[in-house]
Amino acid sequence: MLDVGRHPNIELMAYTHVERGEGQSGDFTVTVRRKARYVEEDRCTGCGACAEKCPTVVSDAFNEGLGTRRAIYSWFAQGIPSTHTIDPDHCRQLNGKKCGVCKKTCQADAINFDQEDRVVELHVGAIIAATGYEVFDPSIIPEYQYKEIANVVTALEFERLLSASGPTGGHLDRPSDLAIEADIEALEKKAKRSQRALDKFEEKYDEASPEFYEKYQNGEYGHDEDRKKWASKYGAHMAIAEPLEALRRRAEGFAVAKRLAFIQCVGSRDFRFYPFCSSYCCMHSIKEAIIAHEHEPETTSTIFGMDIRAVGKGFEEYKVRGGNKSAITYVRGRVAEITEAPDHNPVIWYEDTCERRVKSQEFDMVVLATACAPGKGIKELTQVLGIKINEFGFLKTNPSQPLDTTRPGIFTCGCAYGPMDIPESVAQASGAAARVAQILSEFEMRKAS
Amino acid sequence: MNKEILVIGGGIAGIQSSLDLGEMGFKVHMVERLPSIGGKMAQLDKTFPTNDCAI
Ligand SMILES: Cc1cc2nc3c(=O)[nH]c(=O)nc-3n(C[C@H](O)[C@H](O)[C@H](O)COP(=O)(O)OP(=O)(O)OC[C@H]3O[C@@H](n4cnc5c(N)ncnc54)[C@H](O)[C@@H]3O)c2cc1C
Ligand code: SF4
Ligand code: SF4
Repeated sequence: MLDVGRHPNIELMAYTHVERGEGQSGDFTVTVRRKARYVEEDRCTGCGACAEKCPTVVSDAFNEGLGTRRAIYSWFAQGIPSTHTIDPDHCRQLNGKKCGVCKKTCQADAINFDQEDRVVELHVGAIIAATGYEVFDPSIIPEYQYKEIANVVTALEFERLLSASGPTGGHLDRPSDLAIEADIEALEKKAKRSQRALDKFEEKYDEASPEFYEKYQNGEYGHDEDRKKWASKYGAHMAIAEPLEALRRRAEGFAVAKRLAFIQCVGSRDFRFYPFCSSYCCMHSIKEAIIAHEHEPETTSTIFGMDIRAVGKGFEEYKVRGGNKSAITYVRGRVAEITEAPDHNPVIWYEDTCERRVKSQEFDMVVLATACAPGKGIKELTQVLGIKINEFGFLKTNPSQPLDTTRPGIFTCGCAYGPMDIPESVAQASGAAARVAQILSEFEMRKAS
Repeated sequence: MNKEILVIGGGIAGIQSSLDLGEMGFKVHMVERLPSIGGKMAQLDKTFPTNDCAI
């Protein structure tokens, strides 16, 4: 990534949309919109001081919504470019409220609330569409209850939980526990505020609130207005403090997830959604189980699948090693349903297709190996570029020229073409680059002859 | 004929294409819709089959 940012021949335009494409192979004109970041790219040093001070908290999409960021943010800590961006949907200042805290903080004078989009016209000989994929949304499978059961997560969410730079610092804290911890934090803030109100009365009358309240209830203070106020404040405080205490007691029992289940082919090889195999998900489930076991040696994992597709150099060995050294059990079976037991434990109901019996098993967390779905903006992009998609929504190519789209001069590689892992994406990317070099040199030679 | 190239998408595929073409001496414009490049790979903790760090 760093090399792209530094390469003298590569102009990097992030936070940019492709709006129009015209012309033909060898001579395209493409119009792109460089969206306003409200931060000057040539001034921002990426120091992050602004984000520390920004008061507006927003759900963090890079962490799949498992953590938060501020309205001024970097996509992720090591991102290239490291330029910060103001999110216009959430920034107070850009929504007409008083703020500008980031501008006051920034020593580089990089923040510019008046920045506007810039429309740029590019003249290019060839185009490579490497727009990737989207994670299949499992909430449309009702029997897996992805939205309803907190501890059922997608594999990409699980990657963020495993990551040392992720929202939990690499600990497998369960989403149900994280939600309760967030509630505790919010209640603690409220309790602090209501305690301050009580402090004033306690000082004034030199008496602790609980003792006062008991006497008040016994009618010792009659109809004294001030004490009536105190009593009502105390009631309000207890309405916060009691549930807070209960939650705190519950949180004492929280532990990281150690019994993991992985469900394969969620949205893949399923005629209701995508009939194809997404090719990389068997491998990433094994990988995630191995890493979880590295973090916490007591962790056990069960991978439920029709079969494990470990197709690649060294992949089968990786699978076997995972079973032997990382406490992974492979179960040949189809998961019919996930339900929730007490303590937010998901329960998997499945058919063991070897024993031909329906069974169930309880886990701490369930990870869904979701399908590789076509990118969200792919339709718009194909309209802009005048290229076609195939029956599943990936870019259409032809088997004898697999990297050529339906329009000469426009090529594709990686998951925009279809599901594939990183080594394959890299190989295709080099292939697409070679195709570009080939057609451009053909033009060159024709011109010379 | 124009020797400049547009790469749309800054995931691992777009990054590799751009680096290859840049090394060959072509001028590459890389367009990414998100604030930083890296794509899905940047969100991964480690990658199979080597378990190397993704970033
Ligand atoms: C949970 C999980 C774990 C995985 N683990 C591994 C692993 O360990 N090893 C492995 O080999 N593979 C793994 N994979 C697969 C891996 O993610 C893909 O092979 C790889 O990311 C594909 O790269 P790509 O560049 O084609 O697409 P992407 O990573 O999706 O990148 C596409 C880029 O294009 C941008 N873009 C999209 N549309 C536009 C547009 N219209 N204009 C401008 N930019 C656009 C996107 O924002 C994105 O940055 C995993 C996948 C998942 C879901
Ligand atoms: S905008 Fe200013 S404060 Fe924020 S990261 Fe950039 S240089 Fe630092
Ligand atoms: S790679 Fe495995 S989990 Fe993914 S679709 Fe294929 S068989 Fe199913």
